[in-house]
Amino acid sequence: MRKTLLVATALFAASLPLEGKAQGALSLQGLGFPPGQLSARAEGTGGGVADFDALSLTTPASLAGVGAAALFLQYSPEFRRVTTSTGSANTTTARFPLVEGVLPVGQSWTVALSSSTFLDRSSETSLSRQQNVGDPVDTVTLVERNKVLGAINDVRLALAWSNSPVFRMGIGGHVFAGSNRITLSQVFPDSAEFISSAQSDRISYAGFAASIGLEWHPSRVIGFAVSGRKGGDLRAQSGDTAIGSAKLPDHYSASVLFEGIPGTTVSFRAAHDNWSTLSTLSSSGIQAFDGWDMGGGLEASGPRIMQRIVTVRLGARVRTLPFGFNGEKVSEKSFAFGLGAPLTRDRAAIDLAVQRASRTVSSDVKERGFILSIGLRVSP
Amino acid sequence: MKLSSNLPRLLATAALFVSILSCSENLDSSGVCSVLCPAIGGDVKNITIDAVVVDTTVPSLSGLGTEAGLLLASRGDTLDTRVIVRFDSLPATFLPHGDTTQAITRVDSAYIQFTLDTLSIKGAEPVTIEAYDVDTTANDTSTAAVLALFRPDRFISSQTFARAQLTDTLKYFISDSAVLAKIQSRTALRIGLRATGPASSQMRLISVEGGFGPSLSFRATPDTATARVTATPFSKTPVGESILAANLTDYTVIAKAPPEAAPSILSVGGLPARRVYIRFNIPDSIIDSSTVVRATLLLNQLPNTAIDPTDTVLLLPQVVLAGTAVKDPSKAAQIIGTISVDTLRLTPGGSGIKNVELARAFTLWHTQSPDSLPRAIVLKSLTEGNTAIELRFSSSEDIAALRPRLRISYTAKVPLGLP
Repeated sequence: MRKTLLVATALFAASLPLEGKAQGALSLQGLGFPPGQLSARAEGTGGGVADFDALSLTTPASLAGVGAAALFLQYSPEFRRVTTSTGSANTTTARFPLVEGVLPVGQSWTVALSSSTFLDRSSETSLSRQQNVGDPVDTVTLVERNKVLGAINDVRLALAWSNSPVFRMGIGGHVFAGSNRITLSQVFPDSAEFISSAQSDRISYAGFAASIGLEWHPSRVIGFAVSGRKGGDLRAQSGDTAIGSAKLPDHYSASVLFEGIPGTTVSFRAAHDNWSTLSTLSSSGIQAFDGWDMGGGLEASGPRIMQRIVTVRLGARVRTLPFGFNGEKVSEKSFAFGLGAPLTRDRAAIDLAVQRASRTVSSDVKERGFILSIGLRVSP
Repeated sequence: MKLSSNLPRLLATAALFVSILSCSENLDSSGVCSVLCPAIGGDVKNITIDAVVVDTTVPSLSGLGTEAGLLLASRGDTLDTRVIVRFDSLPATFLPHGDTTQAITRVDSAYIQFTLDTLSIKGAEPVTIEAYDVDTTANDTSTAAVLALFRPDRFISSQTFARAQLTDTLKYFISDSAVLAKIQSRTALRIGLRATGPASSQMRLISVEGGFGPSLSFRATPDTATARVTATPFSKTPVGESILAANLTDYTVIAKAPPEAAPSILSVGGLPARRVYIRFNIPDSIIDSSTVVRATLLLNQLPNTAIDPTDTVLLLPQVVLAGTAVKDPSKAAQIIGTISVDTLRLTPGGSGIKNVELARAFTLWHTQSPDSLPRAIVLKSLTEGNTAIELRFSSSEDIAALRPRLRISYTAKVPLGLP
């Protein structure tokens, strides 16, 4: 019997578990979906105006143009539909992707503290599969439920300077922090014979980065902006144990803004993210791809409603999502429509944006999403 | 351009409506999981091991009179069991209708009322139940002394029942004079019942422990307006041992039972009742580092045709809760806990490999060190003590292919963190 026990122990040791992956949608591969750190206003213009928008977190330089102290909060639920050859799923993800406080200090300086969602991994899946449990002829249906909640957030402290409308610059220090709470349940059909199990874990992330931005308006009709964020190390821990590390992706962007048509702003932005540096933060070899994020849009003064001029926005955007599916890049195309209106004599403003996003790979998996963003800025 | 003032209200209402809708998240993407959700938990591994280190048959020491039923059987040379009911305290007075309390000077239409488990009845022929006076000063738990009292000079009365008369409520009429004599002499009325008849018979009466025990009833006056006098079973002895005395208010005495199995065979049930105690040595790596989803004890059943080979027996596995300080398997087998509400249905005449599910025991063992709680189980019959049927299994002394083995199905723990 002792020999049998030894063999059993050896067999057990040899049975290596599979690694866990996140799942359920093209946009939720790997460490999750990047909402983009754009304000509702910038989303409405396809991201084109982001590098000139104090409420977007893509560059610290734009903070100098905020004008007055402001608090900004954004709510962006996403209604997603994923379709495959075998079925479809409709989900609703509630996100608060952006909160920011901006405070002008003196005539030239502006300081801001913000938090934004960098990668959102919230998902829930349920997979049924046949398993042989016990006797070789005993096959049962095992339901595997996997729930992941949480995100990596980008907390930024930024300082901007400007002493004229022509030139603005800013720097930012970033702390990337957050956690994923993961629960895996394996449910068997007959509780008298089988024991269903549940396993949970919490992964926390910590990393640092620094950013810089420049904004130049050589004339009243045109402006240019460039920005960059240099990523440091991002470490992942489970309890007290380090389970992985990676470099935070570097991010670069360049934008142009044209205001030559009265009451209208046309903007375009191109950004590049070195997402591939996050590939090492995967236990199952999920591949991350470097990618471009390009978008442009139009912002125009629209109709007057209740003595307020409503700003109307249109935009389009195309980008590569960080994590691939089956080794392929996932690309996202989106079209956006937005509205903006001042409230309470310009002491507050509300921005609405609706994005229609389409995410695809070469296979027959399709993902469509509507993202409704509601941003509220209050100047105390 | 100026629009109607209703438009912003409509837009605001629409935005508010959508926002409220989105407040309740629905993250479930199960509909596309066959394509987009790889299996995470890994496959279930199955191993079968010779993990039994101790297996033995032990007596059920729950004690005389603790059974929920009283087995009254007359099965020829195979099985003969008697039922004892003690009325050590009989009422000496009664309250006539519209009068004051009076001493009991007459007894009329006395009977003992039993609740009968009609599903337990065996035999279609009439059965005669004889009553004997089994009052004795001998040791209370001495069945031999009690059996010796089933003799003609102790005979009280008898009653014959046709099969159709054996209903849920069984009124067994006994001698009025015998009851009156006990009342007037202030002595204990201890009745021993024996079944006889032209053919085999067997029935199970519900005991006090079963919740519907017997009761004595008689009239102390011909006036039917006066309520019947009733008495419930009571035992005054053994003195100073109230629990044992309570158990002995009604109990079964075995006069003859099928022979026990050989010591090298594991047996469950029978009379007196027996259990199987099995202790395992399970690799810690399986219990500690994996999730056991199913565990099955594989037992080779040996046919036992001694009595009722085709009757169904419900086999119940239970986990031993006795710590390592309890060395004696007989004692450890009494300190047990339920691990399954389900039972294994077997017939004594059956044979071959039988599966006893033990997964719930692993849940407990996962939290307890084997140094404090041995990995041990007990197999018992759900009708322990109420039937002579006995299941038999090969023990670890048998050839290797027939020994008890443990088949464990488990999944390894998955590193959940990174994608």
